[in-house]
Amino acid sequence: MNVLPNSDGAGLRAAARRGLRRGRDFVDETPPDALVTVTVAAVSLLAAFAGFLAVSSLTAIPFAVFLVATGYGWLRHQELTARVLTLTTTVSTILVLGLILVFIFAEAWPTVQYATVNVFGVPIPGLRLFIETRWSPVTPPIQYSLVPMIHGTVLVTIIATAVAAPLGVAAALFLSEIAPRTVRELVKPGVEILAGIPSIVYGFIGFTILSPWAADQFDIVGQGTYLFVGIVVGLMALPTVVSVAEDALNSVPESMKSGSLALGTTDWQTMTSITLPAAFSGVSAAVLLGVGRAIGETMAATVMLRGSPGLTKPLYNVFYGNDTLTSLIAANYGDADGLQLSALFVAGVILFVTVLFLSIGSQYIEARMRRKLGGAE
Amino acid sequence: MAGATDTALVSEDTSETEAVAAGAVGLAAVLFALSLASVFELVTITDPVAGVPMVALLGGLLVVLGFAVVTFGVGSRLGYVATDPRPTAGLLASGTFGLIWFVVGGLVASQTLGLGTAGWVVASLVTGGAAFAVSALPREDIGSTLPAGALAVFAGVVFLTGVIGPSWLWDLGWEQQASFNAEFTIPVLTAFCSLLVGWAAAKAYGGFGARGRHIGAYVLVYLNAISIIALLFLLVAFTVLKGLPGLFKGLAFGAGAGPEVTLVGVTFSLPVSWPFVMNGVALLNDVNGVLPAIVGTIWLVVGAVLFAVPLGIGAAVFITEYADRGRFTQVVEIATNGLWSTPSIVFGLFGLAFLVPRLGNQKSLLAGMLTLGFMLLPLVVITSRESMLAVPDEYRDASAALGVTKWQTVRSIVLPAALPGIVTGIILGVGRIAGETAPILLTMSGSVAPPGSQTVDVLGGFQLQYAPPFVTNPELMQATSALPYQLYSLITAGVGQSSNISAIDEFRWATALILLVVVLGFYAIGIATRYYFRSKLQHD
Repeated sequence: MNVLPNSDGAGLRAAARRGLRRGRDFVDETPPDALVTVTVAAVSLLAAFAGFLAVSSLTAIPFAVFLVATGYGWLRHQELTARVLTLTTTVSTILVLGLILVFIFAEAWPTVQYATVNVFGVPIPGLRLFIETRWSPVTPPIQYSLVPMIHGTVLVTIIATAVAAPLGVAAALFLSEIAPRTVRELVKPGVEILAGIPSIVYGFIGFTILSPWAADQFDIVGQGTYLFVGIVVGLMALPTVVSVAEDALNSVPESMKSGSLALGTTDWQTMTSITLPAAFSGVSAAVLLGVGRAIGETMAATVMLRGSPGLTKPLYNVFYGNDTLTSLIAANYGDADGLQLSALFVAGVILFVTVLFLSIGSQYIEARMRRKLGGAE
Repeated sequence: MAGATDTALVSEDTSETEAVAAGAVGLAAVLFALSLASVFELVTITDPVAGVPMVALLGGLLVVLGFAVVTFGVGSRLGYVATDPRPTAGLLASGTFGLIWFVVGGLVASQTLGLGTAGWVVASLVTGGAAFAVSALPREDIGSTLPAGALAVFAGVVFLTGVIGPSWLWDLGWEQQASFNAEFTIPVLTAFCSLLVGWAAAKAYGGFGARGRHIGAYVLVYLNAISIIALLFLLVAFTVLKGLPGLFKGLAFGAGAGPEVTLVGVTFSLPVSWPFVMNGVALLNDVNGVLPAIVGTIWLVVGAVLFAVPLGIGAAVFITEYADRGRFTQVVEIATNGLWSTPSIVFGLFGLAFLVPRLGNQKSLLAGMLTLGFMLLPLVVITSRESMLAVPDEYRDASAALGVTKWQTVRSIVLPAALPGIVTGIILGVGRIAGETAPILLTMSGSVAPPGSQTVDVLGGFQLQYAPPFVTNPELMQATSALPYQLYSLITAGVGQSSNISAIDEFRWATALILLVVVLGFYAIGIATRYYFRSKLQHD
């Protein structure tokens, strides 16, 4: 899965020539009025998008033109219109990701610039967000340090992974290799429903039942512990790990398993020495995706934590819970403005970029595994 | 891989010893259940059970269990029990035992004996190393039973002698206070020991070796699956039990009982009055309800589906049917998967930065719809694409051979064949977004407890005009409530904001229950659809 563009000039030129030729062929073969219709639709849609971006009240006009043009094209040249429309939808899907990147980065920039530090005369934007340890948006000195929240997110994610990874992989093994058919038909929807329970319901149960119980059991002053947020978040990440890991285990060719069983091994030996090693990368991709889910989980952390940014003392004290990156955003967006709001967007950027990397990493691992197993088949 | 090991090739005359091992597994299960019961405070550890205090009972049973397993292992090593052990218990088991005993040694040395850092490190290394050696060096029958059994005996003795008694407390001494008490520690330690010994006993029951490991592992894997399902059941049952009283408060049947509604010009009274879902919150209401939030959720879902489903299916059609497999489709795949795993709060931030300023500069229903639509989009693309790829190529070839165009093939062959998968995916996706709080928190949140008069009326809100933007709908442009947001705001609201609601706790649980019912309803329909189509396909 090599996504980097081929950078040598000759290949690029050849590709451009091919594209041009294909474009010319396309123009030659298409009836002129169809071509005009499609062009009008494309231009008006672009204009509508530009108008929307510029907050123009005239946005509706090009959009109406687009609707009329596609309507006409649908009646007269359905084949071409369908093709162009589906291409448009595909481009807009990618565009959404691009827009998210651009807009949250743009909103985050003021605070990053505010937190610039000169290191030996070289300005490094945003460094102060990570070397200070105090979040103080109101009382001077104004500091927007994200270190406490990153610390909270890291603790919660570690605990959640410790819960979700072993239980999830074991459940995936159970579903894909061990369970009899009828049991699987019962357990699989159960895991899916576990994924369906809204995070705010988990948070509510955590807030009303788990937090008071934990405060009582561990003699904690006040409520909210990273430990129990981590456990709840781990349960929420569990279904992701189960379903992705199960897919990976299922993709191991049956012939490999049968070959092992034919040698007289037990089912468990086949799993530990054939299926799991073969599916190892897919299973680790599942764990990565679970980690991504845990990092981004918001509502349970927001209602179960204290919402007072700060580091725990000592740093590994998981029986106390301040704030995570997600809960910081959810709890403070309301009364934040200016630089503080922008700092919340910085937190969003960190979340987005981290999880995007985890997602791309797990896709890369999965693709590699598919290639390897495909060769073995 | 069915049934390859079902026939016991090693079934010699060992039924009595097998019974001992099976008894140990059963005892471990009983201990595990007992300790769970005391963690959930169904029994307290000081309560006497059959005349014996709970602590003593747990300790005694642990000692018995530990000795039973160790005896079995030693008996097997000496040849009294016919087993089929490997030369060693394996690196994973040895490492685990080493680690456990490392922790035990360290805790005893530092906390009970009060040794300094050097002291506990040495003690830890000694006990951990010893456990690793005992586990790794001798034959498997000793290696996997002795460290586990010894741990259970040790824990049992600690409980019995009162070193960890009912009044035991371990203050961690941190600046932010936290401590372990006996109520928590004793059951958790017991549960852990019983799991470990249960695994060793299950292994012994299988006669060690390949078959023993198989059984030992299966016990743990089955236990894991059962606990996940039990947890699900517990969560749902608990919410239902707590929520039911509030949900059906004031429910009344009979002609004219319900509120008046007007449908196609005819006004009549509904034959049922269900205040919780038909009222808003107001000072004079007998029973307060969440009608605005329910209607808000319905419109959110409708809006998100209208936005995301055409876009998503279109994109899926293009990348599976039109585009050649290459760079472009890879980029689309990476983008959709990336979007799928993007945290919901980031979608909320995006809606706040991108949609809110462009849609009347205030939080609005429309902004919420579009934000949730962005979240739904990748799921629609992924599931539609998967089900289109599953349509056999023969279908497409047969259609193309008739001389029809590509789009006609897609419209009349591929899409109908892929429809079941697409529909299932959409329903499950809708279930997910209907319960999302974080995105709408930032884009459409309204008042904490809206009165019934604030129920949105989207259909009645459309207005036509001659100047752009031609169609306006003030209902879409203002903030409203939705079930998940309502639950969140009820949790975090101060006393003043929810003073209209008398039994606030009951109201919250009922809101949680109705949210759960709505979301799990979507999931149930989605899963049922999948089974329906699958059974139909198998019949054909």
